[in-house]
Amino acid sequence: MEKEQLKQQLKEQIIQFLNLTNLKPEDIKDDEPLFGEGLGLDSIDSIELIVLLSREYGITIEDPKEGRKVLVDINTMVDYISAHRTK
Amino acid sequence: MYIHDYSYISPQHTFRETDIASIVEYTDNKLTAIEPGYADIPPGVLRRMGKAVRIGIGAAMPVIQHQSIDGIIIGTANGGMEDCIKFLNQIIDYDEGMLTPGSFVQSTPNAIAGQIGLLDKNTGYNITHVHLGLAFENALLDAFMMVREHPGTQYLVGAVDVISSYNYHIDLLKGTFRKDLISNKDLYNTTTTGTIAGEGAGTLRVNDIPENAVAQIRAIKMIHTEDENEIKAALQDFLRQQVNPNGAPDLFISGENGDERLLKYYRAAESVFPDDTTIARYKHLCGDFPTASSIALWLACYKSPLPNHCIKRPGSLRQHQSIVIYNNYYGKQHGFVYLTKYQHSQLLLNFLYDAGTGCRFFPVFMI
Repeated sequence: MEKEQLKQQLKEQIIQFLNLTNLKPEDIKDDEPLFGEGLGLDSIDSIELIVLLSREYGITIEDPKEGRKVLVDINTMVDYISAHRTK
Repeated sequence: MYIHDYSYISPQHTFRETDIASIVEYTDNKLTAIEPGYADIPPGVLRRMGKAVRIGIGAAMPVIQHQSIDGIIIGTANGGMEDCIKFLNQIIDYDEGMLTPGSFVQSTPNAIAGQIGLLDKNTGYNITHVHLGLAFENALLDAFMMVREHPGTQYLVGAVDVISSYNYHIDLLKGTFRKDLISNKDLYNTTTTGTIAGEGAGTLRVNDIPENAVAQIRAIKMIHTEDENEIKAALQDFLRQQVNPNGAPDLFISGENGDERLLKYYRAAESVFPDDTTIARYKHLCGDFPTASSIALWLACYKSPLPNHCIKRPGSLRQHQSIVIYNNYYGKQHGFVYLTKYQHSQLLLNFLYDAGTGCRFFPVFMI
């Protein structure tokens, strides 16, 4: 899958998993921070994102340090998915 | 225990800009709540809430946002059942693997009182009563005892239940709900089994201060029986002990729900009252759900006279100050609530009566 396609798909999945019904995929910028300022997600959302990676891409993140590096923005998530996906 | 503020989100226009003179019609046997915009709830918090939590908080915010409260007491039979089923389905769908916490957090019955406490930054008494059809009456009783034991405190008391598709279908198979589709306007014009489903969330602010109160809850009684004669006898005792020696309130609000199997209980209760007493009904407005008696209390507090579509028997009294509410759940759980509604000239008379002067108030003394 092309990177741009994957970004679009991931944004749609984030909106669905986190029930961000007031957002459209184009509202989420590729380099916008997911947590704190930016999208404004919190710690419960981080668990939802880890479950999303597991269910949709077969990726298991067990090390919290690794999680912090991956769940930064759309770009970092897409790079990680491209490198580690098993489905 | 005095009621000072009240709020309700229901299938009718009962929230903020209220209008119950005309009925919102439903023809699919499911009366779903008309939800407001929830401007008082932060969007980041709102997106995680299931419907039960959402309407519970929505109904609570107008009551507590300008008032400090000492505790939160909620009655709900099922809490966020839709989220509960979603969570259970995830366990199956993902083969007991990794699960997201959101649905679980939202699905527990005490999530409603808990979220209200979080939003209000209230760390006081926080409890949820889950006694099915008597959950709301038990919440009221709890508040009644808290106010009596802790003078000067005030509480948010509420009731919440929602229609979940899973529970609706189980109840439909069980015969609780009608299989043929009817309008809620025709609820009482039928002679078949089953009723229509409903939902709602209501809250009250209660304390022991009579000044500016809307109403006073004077007595609550709950019994479990399937014998209508026991209902009649229990109601007669309740009226004699709590209302007055003649046992006649101005208004009786009945939980009649169009199910012919339960009519015997409501008829037995109605037979206790003299012709003067007005008899009213409300489940054509909200459908039936375990804590539906909460909307009867909202109607009792409502500033305007009850609309004609709620009146089953007019009675002879023009004003309704003393009010008895009766509801039953599956013909097994029965609750009575007695309250007096205030026009403020009534408060002094009531205070004198409460102080043991022997002075009893009657509608004729009201201004």
